[in-house]
Amino acid sequence: MVDNNKYMIKEIKFALYVIKKNIQSSIELRSSFLLNVFGMAINDTAFIILWVYFVKSVGVVGGWTTYDIIGMLGISALTFGIVYTTCYGLFKLPDNVASGSFDRFMLSPKNILIRTATSAIEVAAVGDMLFGIICICIYGFLIHITLMQMILILILIFFTSIVFLSFMIIIYSLSFYFIDANVITNGIFQLFNTPTLFHGGAFQGALRFVFTFIIPSLLISAIPLETIKNTSYRSLFMIIILSFVWLFIAIKFFNISIKKYESSNFMTFGN
Amino acid sequence: MKEIRIAIKIIKTLVKDSIHYPSRLYANMFIVISRLGVILLLYSYVFKLNGGVVNGMTYIVVAWSMFFYFIFSNLNLRHIARFMTEDIKSGNIEVFLSKPISYLSYKIWWTFGKNFYNFIFVGFIGFIILFLIIGIPKSMTIGLFIPTLLLQFILASTLIIIIYGIVGLFAFWIEEVAPIFWIVDKSVMVLGGSYLPVALFPNFLYKIAIYSPFGASMFVSQIVYDTWKVNWMGLVLIQIFWIIILGIFMIWLFKRAKDKVSVNGG
Repeated sequence: MVDNNKYMIKEIKFALYVIKKNIQSSIELRSSFLLNVFGMAINDTAFIILWVYFVKSVGVVGGWTTYDIIGMLGISALTFGIVYTTCYGLFKLPDNVASGSFDRFMLSPKNILIRTATSAIEVAAVGDMLFGIICICIYGFLIHITLMQMILILILIFFTSIVFLSFMIIIYSLSFYFIDANVITNGIFQLFNTPTLFHGGAFQGALRFVFTFIIPSLLISAIPLETIKNTSYRSLFMIIILSFVWLFIAIKFFNISIKKYESSNFMTFGN
Repeated sequence: MKEIRIAIKIIKTLVKDSIHYPSRLYANMFIVISRLGVILLLYSYVFKLNGGVVNGMTYIVVAWSMFFYFIFSNLNLRHIARFMTEDIKSGNIEVFLSKPISYLSYKIWWTFGKNFYNFIFVGFIGFIILFLIIGIPKSMTIGLFIPTLLLQFILASTLIIIIYGIVGLFAFWIEEVAPIFWIVDKSVMVLGGSYLPVALFPNFLYKIAIYSPFGASMFVSQIVYDTWKVNWMGLVLIQIFWIIILGIFMIWLFKRAKDKVSVNGG
């Protein structure tokens, strides 16, 4: 048990070191880095414009105001940003598996999942994080946020990131089963992604159930927002439990899927 | 004549390629139908809450408007920017420019052919499904509908190709065109009526959608509105205006870009 803990701490330390190095190397190309970060932040504001005018035209839906939409977009953008920045290697899994470059992860003495996930960084995702933080600050200001709600946001961002990361591990593990995996993983990702950007108040009944428990899109967007808004510990507890369940399923599924890997024998070592 | 022959050849080859990979087609169908399905389900709830009418629009009109937006987007003409950027970054542009065909027209037809089969197939299936579920609005039964739909297909495709082609050409000057692409892409998304149909826009945003090239590139989403039979000619003229202006700009930019090419190494 003690050995296991030591091993995990060592792996996490290694992952943090790799993420730090990835970020440092991206910052080296300063102008490209800044262009990507601010470009993405501006790009994200399109969704605010969309939903603000949606509320103006349609009115309040499911008790959701413009403020709530700003908060929701902030939470989902920050969650996206954290996972894309730290674990972008996952999103390259279909290409790595198809080209045979996954060999180098298999041969690594480190934990394969951590090594794969932290092997790349998406610079533009820093823009998502920036946008997310700004939106959450604006939301906090607009609703006169309490200390308890601030703490809730910090806790929730951690668990929504786990949910998103877990679901991405599951989606991209499908790369081991299909030849044309990029198309399939992209399709499922789009299905997951669309509801995270949609007006949270419009999800009711069966649709809400599906996008909470089967495809956990609402766990990283609408539900955390409602948890903060209503200071609901019951919702918080549900998100924490579900995040552990998804993480457990994801790690198991990745480890099972990896056994399906067959090297393509391309000369891609060191790529 | 030679240009047309090349265009047909490129499209034919790419359609054959698409037919050989049915899994891509099914996945594409799954993406479009599921995304559109989710949005339409949500809108049906929103319309139910508002007694079936929002801003004078009924659900059936809004649903078809979004259908045309998403199906047309599925042609993925915006990818021309990515294809051009990749050519420029990788240095492959040198090979293309030394060929006896115009790089621009080659890329345009290639982008067009790449998703043409998917567009037709998914569009047809989607049309049948939506028709069976919600029926069609009155505006789709008038004689003007089919001819203007075809006209929109040609004009909107041309304008989209030009807009994103310009973005792609910027790669000759700027190393990272992705941020420009995102901003243009989101402008088209918002002003074209993707998640929020143009008919639900407030007045000033509606005017921006009508008079900007971004909104004009997606007038196809307005084809089901009752106002279409009155407005269509004016909207087509706006599209033609932008095609001429931006088309001239793209050709000028391409000429300047060719002088800018410098390939490092081999």
